[in-house]
Amino acid sequence: MNHGPTTLAEDVADSGEEAALAVKDLNFYYGDHHALHDITMDFPARQVTAMIGPSGCGKSTLLRIFNRMYDLYPGQRATGEVMFDGVNILENTVGLDVLRARIGMVFQKPTPFPMSIYDNIAFGVRLHERLGRAEMDERVQDVLTRVALWNEVRDRLKAPASGLSGGQQQRLCIARSIATRPEVILLDEPTSALDPISTARIEELLDELKEEFTIAIVTHNMQQAARCADRVAFFYMGGLIEVDTADRIFTNPRQKQTQDYITGRFG
Amino acid sequence: MSMAPVPRSSKRQLGLDVLFHALFWASALLVLLILGGLIVLMATGGWKALTTFGLSFFDQSAWNPVKDRYGALAPLLGTVLSTVIALLLAIPLAFGTAFWLTNIASSRLAAIIGTAVQLLAAVPSIIFGMWGFFTIVPLVARYVQPFVNHHFRHVFILGPLLKGPPIGTGVMTSGIVLAVMIAPFITAVMCDVFGAVPPMLRESAYGLGATRWEVMWKIIAPWSRNGMIGAIVLGMGRALGETMAVTFVIGNVTSVGWSLFAPRSTVASLIALQFPESPAGSLRLSSLMALGFTLMLLSCASLVVARCLRGGRQ
Repeated sequence: MNHGPTTLAEDVADSGEEAALAVKDLNFYYGDHHALHDITMDFPARQVTAMIGPSGCGKSTLLRIFNRMYDLYPGQRATGEVMFDGVNILENTVGLDVLRARIGMVFQKPTPFPMSIYDNIAFGVRLHERLGRAEMDERVQDVLTRVALWNEVRDRLKAPASGLSGGQQQRLCIARSIATRPEVILLDEPTSALDPISTARIEELLDELKEEFTIAIVTHNMQQAARCADRVAFFYMGGLIEVDTADRIFTNPRQKQTQDYITGRFG
Repeated sequence: MSMAPVPRSSKRQLGLDVLFHALFWASALLVLLILGGLIVLMATGGWKALTTFGLSFFDQSAWNPVKDRYGALAPLLGTVLSTVIALLLAIPLAFGTAFWLTNIASSRLAAIIGTAVQLLAAVPSIIFGMWGFFTIVPLVARYVQPFVNHHFRHVFILGPLLKGPPIGTGVMTSGIVLAVMIAPFITAVMCDVFGAVPPMLRESAYGLGATRWEVMWKIIAPWSRNGMIGAIVLGMGRALGETMAVTFVIGNVTSVGWSLFAPRSTVASLIALQFPESPAGSLRLSSLMALGFTLMLLSCASLVVARCLRGGRQ
């Protein structure tokens, strides 16, 4: 696992940005299973960082550490450091509700809540803020507009969200996660259940969202990583093999394993 | 048709196929036959009583074998009231237990408690009857009734509900025993229902910063609504028809009144107690059959209500 300090220093210099998330010596365990080994990497602010690698390499596991989702499951634990806004979020003193409002997540499949389109957005907002009727309306319209869903749903905001198409549902889920005004958005293979057209729309959306948010996306689709990401991290067997700019990773990776993976020799 | 000759084994399979087809059809039809048979038996058995008393059968409180006058009001009220009390007590208990088992408890603890719940659901009702008689009845007589009577006697509406000598039998006691009986049922079904909530949906809600309480009330409960109604109807069905446990603790007096602590009777307990002493062909037996018929209608009605509630949304 080559991620020496020189490489890291270069990476940070390359990006020329402050890190929204700084991961250092991170290890993760599912009970006795050691799933992530000594991960150290930065997620530069307002950039898209894609995580690629074969199934079971630990990329989704890493994503789920950033909003402490693993806390829901007994026996899962993380050691090391993940710095976010000056705080190590692995500490027990971190307030999970606030953390999760500031680091949003979108999942592999659309997960509309069993309520109306409007309430799907308002649900997360109401957990953290007290907004008046007009302000809430405004917030809902704002986020739906930003995910390019407003024109499609403006006449049926009170209809159940389950009536939307898969692609619309996933955009609703993205809208829902940005409605709490997070700084970081985690996307766990967000287009794996969608058709190519819906996928393209989500990818376009990422391009716009990165103006404001730091985005970490796990994907199985290398073209997607190449299209959307500024930086790409390649994981293999629970280790970070290489992280660099997307151009570099896809044209001239430093590690042979990365080369083999992106050229389809394994994985 | 000019096809290759069908091999013999296939012909034999065809024969088996027809046989099984017939068997499946027969078992499906048997369900209808039994249901129809029950309704016809109850209706014809109760016909004499229903024609003799007419609709007044349902609003007469007297159940008087000496004068040969029978009305269903007292046992019907007893059945409905004890079922309502049982549901009011059992639903929150079952909901809490099921949520704890599926969402909060560690898997080891959940396995232990979950098994205990299933064992409790398998306990025969006569056991609950004896337990109710020896434990709950004295408890209600000695502590519960004096306590509520002392504190709430003068409260508006509550007063009449609490009146009565501290005997310990009545719809309140039978409601409590029924609640303990049906709660494990409802819990077991609700566990399955909560377990069917997609983990990703739960995680999405937690991922927005929702607390366990918020996830339970706003996501899991609405998502599981239909399943929970199913669970409750199952419990209600058992409470409506429960005979043995109720007979032990309700006091078995056919009277009508507001008090929850006075001895009453239910449809099922009344039938069980009076059936052996009702001669064939008597108006009394016919009245009992008519009561049985009414109980079946009551169960059907609750099922219909549940269906409507389910269809209400989504």
